[in-house]
Amino acid sequence: MQGTAGYGAPAPTGPVQVAYICGDCGAENTLKPGDVIRCRECGYRILYKKRTKRVVQYEARW
Amino acid sequence: MSAGDAGLVNQKYALLPAFLQAKGLIRQHVSSFNHFIASDLLKIIKAKGNERVTCDADPNFYLRYTNIYVGRPSLEEDYIQTELTPNQCRLRDQTYSAPISVDVEYTRGKEVVIRKGKSGAGAILIGRMPIMLRSDRCVLTGKSEEELAWVGECPLDPGGYFVVKGTEKVILIQEQLSKNRIIIDTGTPALAARHSHGAVVASVTSSTHERKSKTNIVSKHNRLMLKHNAFTEDVNIVIVMRAMGVESDEEVLQLVGTEGPFASLLTPTLQHCKEEGVYTRQQALDYLAGKVKGSGRPASPAGGGGFTRRTRSRVDEARDILANVVLCHVPVVQFDYQQKVTYIAVMVRRMLYAKLDPSFIDDRDYYGNKRLELAGGLLALLFEDLFKRMNADLKRQADSSLSKANRATQFDIAKCIRTDTITFGLEHAISSGNWTIKRFRMERKGVTQVLSRLSFISAVGMMTRITSQFEKTRKVSGPRALQPSQWGMLCPADTPEGESCGLVKNLALMTHVTTDEEEAPIARLAHIMGVEPASLVNQSELRERGCALVFLNGNILGVHRRPKYFVRSFREMRRRGRVGEFVSVYMQHDTVQIASDGGRVCRPLIICDRGVPRVKDEHLQLLRMGKWNFNSFLHSGLLEYLDVNEENNSLVALYEADCGPRVTHLEIEPFTILGVVAGLIPFPHHNQSPRNTYQCAMGKQAMGNVAFNQLNRMDTLLYLLCYPQRPLLTTKTIELVGFDRLGAGQNATVAVMSYSGYDIEDAIVMNRASLDRGFGRCIVLRKYGTSLKKYANRTQDRIVLPAAAVGPASAPRPAKFRVLDRDGIAAAGEVLTQGEILVNKQMPTNTRDPVSNPAAMPDTFYRNAPVSWKGYTGGEKCVVDKVLLTSNDDCSCVVKVLVRHTRRPELGDKFSSRHGQKGVVGSIWSQSDMPFSERGLVPDLIMNPHGFPSRMTVGKMIELLGSKAAVCTGRFHYGTAFGEPAGLADKVESISQELVEAGYSYSGKDFLHSGITGEALEAHIFMGPVYYQKLKHMVLDKMHARARGPRVVLTRQPTEGRSRDGGLRLGEMERDCLIGYGASMLLLERLMISSDQFEVQVCTHCGLMGYKRHDGLAVCPLLRSPEHIASLRIPYAAKLLFQELQSMNIVPKLLLAEA
Repeated sequence: MQGTAGYGAPAPTGPVQVAYICGDCGAENTLKPGDVIRCRECGYRILYKKRTKRVVQYEARW
Repeated sequence: MSAGDAGLVNQKYALLPAFLQAKGLIRQHVSSFNHFIASDLLKIIKAKGNERVTCDADPNFYLRYTNIYVGRPSLEEDYIQTELTPNQCRLRDQTYSAPISVDVEYTRGKEVVIRKGKSGAGAILIGRMPIMLRSDRCVLTGKSEEELAWVGECPLDPGGYFVVKGTEKVILIQEQLSKNRIIIDTGTPALAARHSHGAVVASVTSSTHERKSKTNIVSKHNRLMLKHNAFTEDVNIVIVMRAMGVESDEEVLQLVGTEGPFASLLTPTLQHCKEEGVYTRQQALDYLAGKVKGSGRPASPAGGGGFTRRTRSRVDEARDILANVVLCHVPVVQFDYQQKVTYIAVMVRRMLYAKLDPSFIDDRDYYGNKRLELAGGLLALLFEDLFKRMNADLKRQADSSLSKANRATQFDIAKCIRTDTITFGLEHAISSGNWTIKRFRMERKGVTQVLSRLSFISAVGMMTRITSQFEKTRKVSGPRALQPSQWGMLCPADTPEGESCGLVKNLALMTHVTTDEEEAPIARLAHIMGVEPASLVNQSELRERGCALVFLNGNILGVHRRPKYFVRSFREMRRRGRVGEFVSVYMQHDTVQIASDGGRVCRPLIICDRGVPRVKDEHLQLLRMGKWNFNSFLHSGLLEYLDVNEENNSLVALYEADCGPRVTHLEIEPFTILGVVAGLIPFPHHNQSPRNTYQCAMGKQAMGNVAFNQLNRMDTLLYLLCYPQRPLLTTKTIELVGFDRLGAGQNATVAVMSYSGYDIEDAIVMNRASLDRGFGRCIVLRKYGTSLKKYANRTQDRIVLPAAAVGPASAPRPAKFRVLDRDGIAAAGEVLTQGEILVNKQMPTNTRDPVSNPAAMPDTFYRNAPVSWKGYTGGEKCVVDKVLLTSNDDCSCVVKVLVRHTRRPELGDKFSSRHGQKGVVGSIWSQSDMPFSERGLVPDLIMNPHGFPSRMTVGKMIELLGSKAAVCTGRFHYGTAFGEPAGLADKVESISQELVEAGYSYSGKDFLHSGITGEALEAHIFMGPVYYQKLKHMVLDKMHARARGPRVVLTRQPTEGRSRDGGLRLGEMERDCLIGYGASMLLLERLMISSDQFEVQVCTHCGLMGYKRHDGLAVCPLLRSPEHIASLRIPYAAKLLFQELQSMNIVPKLLLAEA
């Protein structure tokens, strides 16, 4: 918890890592709860979540 | 018109794109802000009261500001300086601002410290300045389209706004009466009634950096009196002049003017002066001293013989008021009142003129008497106030530190400078819109507004908006009416309807608003050109035949003996570039006025010599070849800017054919009298004028493309059209603004006919197949955001996947956690259903008391604070579009979830053409039921012809014809306002010709078959494409019904409003109807049974409401017995009222009778 930007206190359920994509360079970043939100490659501070891995079905007719 | 001239008419339009390219679409805001950064800031820190900070405790101490710098927008995070981009600020909820730094010189102990910064930055940071987009300091200026794309910015975005805490804020243009000018007015209506013989008031609102004051000269019983806040009552103007050193009546008369009836008009005033016994300057000062406000009771002449110290100081006070408060903009150097006396005399003279001839009375609504205050000026006021506050803080710190005898370390003022005052002051003012400036006692609300991003046009239209300071409740029509002097400066069509009609205006396409210009060089030039200082000229000479007083920004500069020659040659100097291009000279009555102040509206015009335009074919040729730009025309003296006042001195021809020998200027293009929003309307000059006004309001609600970066944005609400088109019938304004690249509408084939009854009252019948193909389909993007806060006891919010949902993905979990990822945030691409949680945020239950291990608290220490999604009624699907994680200024984590909803038009959605013709979808029919032409053409929508006769929107009919021809020929057609003579609009005749060539009827009517019966329709149907806009009002957002639902806790009545699933109110007027009809049972049901019925127990003896005892029996509160209790149903609100009254010691009693 040394970072300037917090990402919540760590959850009790153990370390879960979710991958995010940097808004600038596109590199993939994994963040643990409590990490600073920052790209490890370029230092950009805007990250986007990746698309869900679940199968989603859209109604194209509507 | 000769053949050679005809060429110019068609080509001078080319000046307009050149103008917009050189100056930008919203040049007013940007140039005003640039001026503020470049020169106003330095002026503020160099101003008399601001430059030095001194200390009462140590006379040797000082802090002096030597220079000020505003850097590039950047931010320091973790000790790394990074450049800010506007889009980054929008996404991260930051402020797009740049550091302000200063060079200083100050004393530390005995030594003088000089600190200077390097490389364009000062030594000490004093705060951060929000930076206007596309201003000189902005990172976007000078970037190409590609470079703009790299920083995530739209090339068509005009800039001119600020990004503060992630929201885009516009500082609206404020309109006010001009400062430091004499205005002759009829005064208040009440005053005019009392003095039937022309109650004329001369008023001046003086404004300097230090002070604002209003000075009036009124006529009371035929005496001229000075009315000013500093005096307890009106004082004789001659006495005031006497106090300023004009002791003889003759001199007063000579100053005002000896000709005509001036002497007799002034007699009562002079006589009154005599009656008061004021003959000398000293007597006058004594007299005035008695009238000074706030100096105790007036000194009585019997009070004491000779001068006591007290009276002397009061005389000094009066002298001081005359010098510095009354007409404070007229300089008085070392109590030399010469200038001020002349100024008062001019005021009196103009007043007397107006008394004799009412045509000399000024019009307050005349636009030459108005000044527009822009972002730069407003920020300058604010900055100076904050700067003064910061200096006061510094002085206080210096006082307290240096007054202590022994200090451990030497006092270093540079270490005391805090950046918060200015940073937060500016940020807060822009984000809240409350402009509070203490020194002028100014308190304005709503100065800034959030930039509307409904459509591209609404954003641009917001930049050109002008609000005036008048209260909206005033019934007077004057300020609301369109003034002839607004021609070419303000858009005649673009104003809202309703209460602010005519008070909120919009700038026209070519209008520029001036910024302040240095007076000294202008004054010097004027003197060189023969203006003699007024003090050197004999007073009677002042009025000599042909002489004229010369004013510079409302102050007397001197006298010129050949004013017309002077004005002419001064103008020539401006055309040669010896004076600023925005300086204006004009004759007003018998004076010459030079204006270089900021806030005047002006516009460029072609200069004509005896009716011959200076712009020739060869010049336009150079422009076309790219060798010249707009400024070359200005600098070559072919074009010039005229402000409203100078326009009044010239004769402007609309077309070249009108150029007579007396014509001085030629319009560049007539359609520039319209603004940006009205410029979208094709053929507006064929419409009834209110229709254009309606369209101006609706064009801002149309959905379409917002900007090229629209899909990278994270706005709270964004409406987008799936398949926007550019209009087939365009105007030149559309091309100049870029609307053809960011359209907000679609070209729909419209059949003007009555087909079924579902198109009456402006309803539209739509073709289902068109909707299937994507007509009017739109995307609604809504942002759901949250931030994780940190608390004082080192605990903080967190986002987790709840324990209930943890486990293998296949395992069942509670429905509301369905879309959550392992980080507790919904993933992009998930389809949402009602009530699902987007961000599972939890907050610590205890945020105050110290917690042993704040980083690892058990789950029980948190409570849920999720961001959940409230779906729409109706089964439409919403999808998580994007999820963004970032940190904001206070380094707390921010999560933004964008939810996308694609909608197709449904019954009741609102559409409109570009002619103020709005309508809702009345019915959606399958294509097979729609009428069809021989060519198999089926309309996208059917519009009722009854929309035309009363609205008189002939422009729409021409648009239909023109669009049809455009489709046939493959060439975009034009409908620029007033464009037919210049070839900027197609003529109906030529359109008809094209239609005939394409095999259609000249009239645009087609032969149709009914889609239902297949029979030929009896009438020919007027059919063709019209550009239709989908407006943001959609049924899905408004649909609301309720049978039973939530109630308010306090009154137990149904809640109010759609957002709270509220009830539908049966209001007072509806109630009146039911009373009138005598439907008492219905009333009872609506007002009580269906609302807040409540059963109370009332004691029939005492009339008070009882309560339930422990055994369940109701008892009377006084008798404590269950006897005499009756059960009664009353509204809960009534019961509440009784109890509230009881709590105020009023006892309402219920007297019951047998029913």
